[in-house]
Amino acid sequence: MSEVAGVPGSVPSRPLVVPAPTTWFELAPGDRILVGAGEPVTAGLGLAERRRDPRLEVGPPTVPDEGDAASGLAPGDWWAGDGHESGAMLRRRRPRTSAGEVLMAEAGRWQVIGGEHSEMLEAPAAGIVREVIAGRGIGISLAGYGIPGAFAAGGPTRGRLELVPGEAGLRGSLDVGRSGSILVVGGRLDLETISRARAMGVRGIVVPGLAGKDLRDLVASEARQRASLQAIAPFAVLVLDGTFRRPIPTPLVRLFESLEGREVGIVSDPPLLVVDPPLEPPALVADWIRIRHGELAGREGRWRGVAGRRRFLAGVHLEAGTVELDDGALVVLPLADLERFS
Amino acid sequence: MTTEPRALFALDLGSATSSAALLGRVNGRWRLLAFEAAPAGTDLDGLLIGLATRVAGADPDLAAEIGLDPAAVGDLPQLVARSAELPGLAILATSERERAAIERLAATAGWRASGLSLELSEPVAMARLALGRGIAAIVLAAGESPALDPKSAVTSLAILGAAVAGRDPARPVVLAGLLRTEAGRFPTDTDGAPPPFGPAATAGEPPGAGLRRLLDAINPGSGDARHAIVRAITDLAAIIDRRVELVEIGLTGGIRAIAGPDGLEAPGAFVDAAALVPPGEPDDDLVDGVLAWSSIPLDRHRMRDRLRELRLTPWGEAHGAGAVVRYAAGRAALERLVDATPEIGELPAPDLIVVAGGAWAVAPGPAIALAVADVVRRPGASQLAWDHARLLGPIGMIDDQDERRALLADLAEDLLAPLGTVVTPAGLRAGKSAGRLVIHGETSSSEVDLVPGGLQLIDLPPGQLGIAEFRFRDQVDVGRRAKHARIEVGGGLGGLLVDMRDVPLRLPDRLDRRRALLSAWQAALWPGLDV
Repeated sequence: MSEVAGVPGSVPSRPLVVPAPTTWFELAPGDRILVGAGEPVTAGLGLAERRRDPRLEVGPPTVPDEGDAASGLAPGDWWAGDGHESGAMLRRRRPRTSAGEVLMAEAGRWQVIGGEHSEMLEAPAAGIVREVIAGRGIGISLAGYGIPGAFAAGGPTRGRLELVPGEAGLRGSLDVGRSGSILVVGGRLDLETISRARAMGVRGIVVPGLAGKDLRDLVASEARQRASLQAIAPFAVLVLDGTFRRPIPTPLVRLFESLEGREVGIVSDPPLLVVDPPLEPPALVADWIRIRHGELAGREGRWRGVAGRRRFLAGVHLEAGTVELDDGALVVLPLADLERFS
Repeated sequence: MTTEPRALFALDLGSATSSAALLGRVNGRWRLLAFEAAPAGTDLDGLLIGLATRVAGADPDLAAEIGLDPAAVGDLPQLVARSAELPGLAILATSERERAAIERLAATAGWRASGLSLELSEPVAMARLALGRGIAAIVLAAGESPALDPKSAVTSLAILGAAVAGRDPARPVVLAGLLRTEAGRFPTDTDGAPPPFGPAATAGEPPGAGLRRLLDAINPGSGDARHAIVRAITDLAAIIDRRVELVEIGLTGGIRAIAGPDGLEAPGAFVDAAALVPPGEPDDDLVDGVLAWSSIPLDRHRMRDRLRELRLTPWGEAHGAGAVVRYAAGRAALERLVDATPEIGELPAPDLIVVAGGAWAVAPGPAIALAVADVVRRPGASQLAWDHARLLGPIGMIDDQDERRALLADLAEDLLAPLGTVVTPAGLRAGKSAGRLVIHGETSSSEVDLVPGGLQLIDLPPGQLGIAEFRFRDQVDVGRRAKHARIEVGGGLGGLLVDMRDVPLRLPDRLDRRRALLSAWQAALWPGLDV
């Protein structure tokens, strides 16, 4: 990666890619963890089975017979079940218990968190498991790279990256041919388009802006689908900038173009588009600058120097810089409204 | 500080703002030489070099006297105060009554508290809450009465709590109320001690005082900038021998404390809900609260998006409409802070109110004074000052009280920017005139008519003192009931504000009328507000 020169450190910097990011996959009590700390994982490998209908059930005795599978159980351990779930022979002297995570001991028996419906949590990219905490989550150091976003909803998910030119382009080309893909859409989407994409089997969408209303509706829709206990395919939306409408920055467009057709993933904690190696990020232009806030948000240009403390609308005085826009116009803007990639 | 430096940096590194101040020892006293605030994450070395270069360029002799070399800023000592998100606290209770009581207590004790009770929740949901990643401590709570909290519920909660606590011994567990009778179920620490236990949140005088002490003792943020600011304010009150109130609004929380010469008059309140924009999706109450203080028309969706952006990039669009939204969000946060701290609000008006926090970083001083006058309303008179260089946090980080007080005393003239004085008479009768006010300045006097319901501004520049002589038509409350009052007032960026609006402030319900009123008040105190 080339270093950005010429733009002072007082202009907020944003990493184009983050090498070997650590991501966190949240779990809940009752979820069955399938990996251990230190284990390598590959994209698509099952990390855990998430319970969608966790409920407390009576488990094995807390003081079992010597050598019994229930010996040595403790809160947080996984109880494989006592019956057909474990593959062992059914013991008549003890009632069959279902599989689940041991929560606590009460009245001489373990209470386990069981349930009928589960879904597989798959690794969106290759990496090494760093931390596994039952009931809380799994931390993984990814082997590849992460492209940071502002926030994400849903996920994790993975699919083939495809570029779509704008919301109108997406509406016109949404068909089952997009199934299994993660779409990068330039522009701001509404929930209807996102829902249609999901219905067509799209695994994820990367978008520069998503209105808060659509985000709320998306999260509510996700919650409704989970509550219905129907099988749902993983899906996520990664928002690169925020809630306002802005185009995707040029360096990111170039990066996405170089990734088109490759398998990528979306994780939400932190919000990242993740890519397995190798990755050759495009070279950054030394004095390239982007306007992130204000009336000119989304415009790009060249850094032309520090402008000192200036008075802006509402009588606010802020440190400023001069930017030459792509059409040649010179504008003086607050440093905090600008951004550069590093 | 163990050596005798002649210059040092005071750094306040918050969630949204990094602030650096250069202090120099000049003529045997510490003085503020320069300061700058920038978005968090800004290149800190660049910020320090910039400050040192400015001072060295403006006064090379002074730079030489204090040994300031812009090329060697890394050699200067630093007082650093940091603040971040408040730690999470999971509250598992036998009853909704106890859950709510502890949530109220924790809401001002520097925790992001969330709770569930056996009354309404399943053990699985309670375990999920307690095992959550952001949880730094767990409180297991019951009341003190076996009649209200039957043994079976206490035992069930203890069994669940012990199982959860045993899975992560690093996270402190506090047992409150009757849960202490079940302490034997819990794992002991490395010294063999059981988990700390205390009275229920509804027990004690004042209720919850004992539990508050326990929560303070286990708070991992007790060494952060927020607590340091309260220490500094307590010292300041002792130094100037006055009652001082602090109101701070930051991106991740707010602080309110009041101290007199003898120390804090009530426990300092560290309020998660008073964050400029609390974490997570802005809910309807939050959005409506900000809309209620906004002087520009925005619908709910747009305001929600604005708040989300403000949380993501607090320094983004800090001008124009963005500045107005930020200012409205600051006033709404201040209102939440005041609502969360009624025990402080009931105390008499302090002599000095110190405003602090990144929420006000770009607002003009007079507008900050208006925000405080709008929300922190008590009958009486208080001077207002602003921690403009964000020095209170770094100074409060000095462990040695004598050293801390010496530095505060040295910096007394530079520490706070005077915003002015607010005089708030309460109990005025409606009418054309409530009386007359004569301001006796250092060189002249002026007289104004007092109009009930209005906000009158009298120019009194920073550094000037005056006597405000009020002659009311009827008896009013100016901290005491009187028809005639002489109050010493200090000047500031906002001058003297005679606030004859209602206490508490009543605003029109219709948003358009409300906006018009807010705009009119703001226009008088926010020069250049042309959006």
